[in-house]
Amino acid sequence: MRIGIPKEVLNGERRVAATPDTVKKMIKMGFEVSVEAGAGALANYPDQMFTAAGASITSDVHSLWSSSDLICKINPPQARSDGSHEANLLADRGTLISLLFPEQNPELVEHLQSGSKTAIALDKIPRITRAQKMDVLSSMANIAGYRAVLEAAHLYGGFFGGQITAAGKTRPAQVLVIGAGVAGLAAIGTARGLGAEVRAFDVRPACKEQVESMGARFLMLDVPMDESQESSGGYANIMSDEFLKAELECFANQAKEVDIIITTALIPGRKAPELILQDMIDSMKPGSVIMDLAAEQGGNCTATVPGQVVVSSGVHVVGYTDLTSRLPTHASQFFGTNIVNLLSDMGGAGDFKVDFEDEVVRKSTVVRQGTLTWPPPPDPEKPPVMSQGKQDSEVVADLPQTKKSSGHGHGASNEPMAIGPRNAIALTLAVVLALIGFTAESAPVPHFVQQVTVFLLACFIGWQVVWSVTPALHTPLMSVTNAISGIIVVGGLLGVAGTELNTAAVLGAVAILVASINIAGGFLVTQRMLQMFRKEDN
Amino acid sequence: MQLQSFVAIPNVAYLGAAILFILSLGGLSNQETARRGNSYGLVGMVIAIGATILLLVVPDAYGTTRVISSENWTLLITTALVGGVIGSVMAKRVAMTAMPQLVALLHSFVGLAAVLVGISTWLTADLAGHGSDLVHLLEIWFGVAIGAITFTGSIVAWAKLRGWLFGKRVPGAPLLLPGRHGLNAIAALTCIGMAVPYVSDTVSQAETAIELEEQLQTAEGVVERLENEPAGTRLMQDEIKKAVAEVERIEAAIQVASQPSTDSRAFLFLMMLTGLTCLLGVHLVIAIGGADMPVVVSLLNSYSGWAAASAGFMLANDLLLVTGALVGSSGAILSYIMCKAMNRSIWNVVFGGFGTDGGNPTGEGTEIEGEVTVTDIEEVAQLARNAKSIMIVPGYGMAVARAQHLVNEFSGMLRKRGCNVRYAIHPVAGRLPGHMNVLLAEAGVPYDIVLEMDEINGDCPETDLVLIIGANDVVNPGAETDESSPIYGMPVIQVWKAETTVVLKRSLGAGYAGVGNPLFFKENNRMLLGDAKDSMSQLTALLT
Repeated sequence: MRIGIPKEVLNGERRVAATPDTVKKMIKMGFEVSVEAGAGALANYPDQMFTAAGASITSDVHSLWSSSDLICKINPPQARSDGSHEANLLADRGTLISLLFPEQNPELVEHLQSGSKTAIALDKIPRITRAQKMDVLSSMANIAGYRAVLEAAHLYGGFFGGQITAAGKTRPAQVLVIGAGVAGLAAIGTARGLGAEVRAFDVRPACKEQVESMGARFLMLDVPMDESQESSGGYANIMSDEFLKAELECFANQAKEVDIIITTALIPGRKAPELILQDMIDSMKPGSVIMDLAAEQGGNCTATVPGQVVVSSGVHVVGYTDLTSRLPTHASQFFGTNIVNLLSDMGGAGDFKVDFEDEVVRKSTVVRQGTLTWPPPPDPEKPPVMSQGKQDSEVVADLPQTKKSSGHGHGASNEPMAIGPRNAIALTLAVVLALIGFTAESAPVPHFVQQVTVFLLACFIGWQVVWSVTPALHTPLMSVTNAISGIIVVGGLLGVAGTELNTAAVLGAVAILVASINIAGGFLVTQRMLQMFRKEDN
Repeated sequence: MQLQSFVAIPNVAYLGAAILFILSLGGLSNQETARRGNSYGLVGMVIAIGATILLLVVPDAYGTTRVISSENWTLLITTALVGGVIGSVMAKRVAMTAMPQLVALLHSFVGLAAVLVGISTWLTADLAGHGSDLVHLLEIWFGVAIGAITFTGSIVAWAKLRGWLFGKRVPGAPLLLPGRHGLNAIAALTCIGMAVPYVSDTVSQAETAIELEEQLQTAEGVVERLENEPAGTRLMQDEIKKAVAEVERIEAAIQVASQPSTDSRAFLFLMMLTGLTCLLGVHLVIAIGGADMPVVVSLLNSYSGWAAASAGFMLANDLLLVTGALVGSSGAILSYIMCKAMNRSIWNVVFGGFGTDGGNPTGEGTEIEGEVTVTDIEEVAQLARNAKSIMIVPGYGMAVARAQHLVNEFSGMLRKRGCNVRYAIHPVAGRLPGHMNVLLAEAGVPYDIVLEMDEINGDCPETDLVLIIGANDVVNPGAETDESSPIYGMPVIQVWKAETTVVLKRSLGAGYAGVGNPLFFKENNRMLLGDAKDSMSQLTALLT
């Protein structure tokens, strides 16, 4: 199979979808690789390096496209300067792997539905642990966050780190990062690395730990944070107004103090929320810098002009949309590696196929053999076993907005004793059970039937509750069930409670003895075990 | 009115205790709430016991108060205290590596208690009342049977886990009697068969008691009539004496008939049932191999719940019923998870005799060919120094070598150097569900870097170095590729996808399941032979 790597035609784009390094990996997987002449020049990968890696170089773009089974590129196909459109250049049975943004580019999607073409949108790779190695949005966001700090440092007239010299001393720069997604966290890390003091904000309180682990201070709102989390549930409107107000108030206060603001607040597929208003810009110190990473989606700052630096009240408002392209060498390397990982997931050259059984492939395929396959069908219900929170590995959407944002419920499992749906069911059943217990005495239900009802309901509650127990605590679960099974001591008590010291009483006494061992032993050993479980540095 | 409210208090308390028990299990859903959950359980237990004692001393719905002799009070309190002390000492002293044994022992206690409560309930039943109901008698029968199986089964599991059975044989090797399935079936059928004379005897005794009650009424009627006769002739006096004697005789007979006795044939059958089910429990568990002990212990956990629930049925005690059901389902879920992690059905575990029915266990599976690369401490230290991301896969062997503290020290040092160290736990690592997590927690490993197999498997390809300490079958690639392997289909941690793997192992032998491991022959695998504890302490020393 032949892979074609065309030169990016987007104005100002310096990246390329493959580097000599990733070309080597493709060849190792069994692919043939052709690279358009000069494709990597701006990313500091001259043609000779590609040749050395085993790729062939061609300057005929049209034949490159038409003779390749697979085209890997970065930006969505677009019209070329010679009048042709890249989507039309794709061979009839060819497969395109690139960013597509199908929501924003409906015409392009339509364009691709011709012949037997297949198009895979790298931006639609699902954000699951397994697919992290293919997730270009994360790897690019990381670069954007890094570069944003460097651009800001470039425009800022002062030191980032505090200085103490014979010529006087300066305070470290104060940086505010809004949105603690991948880009936000990278920005925090970079700014900290330069010596700045960083504070960060995110609507998801679960980010607090990550922010703090990067050495920044996490800003809390006066509105209780757990309420802010509920905004993803049913009470969005009433909550979000109050929350939004508190949020803006917080930013207004911060604007007066900080030198640099880096905003990364995005809602997937929607206009970015406006968080830095004109009066906040006016209140900032002259010479301050605002880096708006959401510029392409309309910007988090009112003064942002996409692609440009504007000066408003002496404050630089930067709306660069090509931050990753400003770091072309490594951005290409990461992007290329993401593509190689995807290709390997799809079977390499040997048995390359667009396998719809594979969740990653299913979700990212926009067109398959000329037929529209996007949007993908919704997820089936997840099995209950997987109910564990996995925040550590999934820093995803860059700050989903409080308003109307939906579908990011993770973090709930970290809430102490939160009444989740499972517990709610259990509690409801407990109430039903109680009602049966209380009414049964007067009801004409035979006693045994009533017992069976209680028993089955209790089994059901047990089933619900135990599935939510984290596997790490299965041993304490066993020992605590040992302890509560000790309730059989009740049977022993009834046996002993008589006037005579007969066989029944003695048997009852032995039952009490062993059951008490269970109660004391079970609870104590569980306590002992649970005390061992500690979080890091606690 | 007042009486009614007294009667209601224990009921409300039982309800509260049941809810607290549910919350105590619910609290275990994560580490932060777990301790609070345990306290809920403890409070629930105190409430339940308090309520039961209240139930014993206050008048019942009919206004009669139970009389409890001071001897019995003494017995009750002493046994409870002694049991409490024994339990506390055991809980305090037990080593975390010995948790499976303790859990198994505690299961056996629940089973034993269920047997004793069952027999005691039968003995104290009022046969003239509802004590001879068919349902009630069968509840006792079933409760005793399941209790006895749990009791002896857990004792055998406990002994196997301690490595006590059969001297020097491989710990926990299954003992298979010829025709064991037939023996189990015969035992089960006999248990069902013996229920018939047991029930009919008890019922006929109860009928006798009821008949005697009727006779008593007639006899009392005679006495009354005679006493009301006007003149007291000598003859009459004799008649009255005779009639009174008759009444006394019948009263004595009722006393005997309405109280089940240890001399009766029904009791004999109940004892035979106890004995037979005890043997059945031994036989069932003794035939199960050591590798399956986590499943067996989970299964016995479930049984202990059902035993408690059956005690709830026979005593008509809803709290016991609810608790038993909770515990029973919990054990069932754990067994299911364990079986799933080994890709086996529960029937296969219970009746399978893993890796033994087909003969020599090590003989199965494709022969592996290739070279094993043996490495030394220096090279491993070098690998660890250069790695950005390290995964540690611990197995029970780590705990046996008591290396977990050193492993924690090692991982802590690497983490300080900025290396991303994480632990990968297979569901069946250790001898109990979640056992490995407890051992690591004891050694001081923070729980947030200890991940389950499903959480971490996707990260294997990006891992620079995997250290496999005392684990074998759970990292066996043969489970995915070799269809003839006895563990084929079992989900495993895909360590071979990492850059380099290092296996710390005493020698090049097979794992607990007796299966050879192709991982050892992979190009990117290194073997570090020797005692895990020694190796780890040398490694730690090299890194400082």
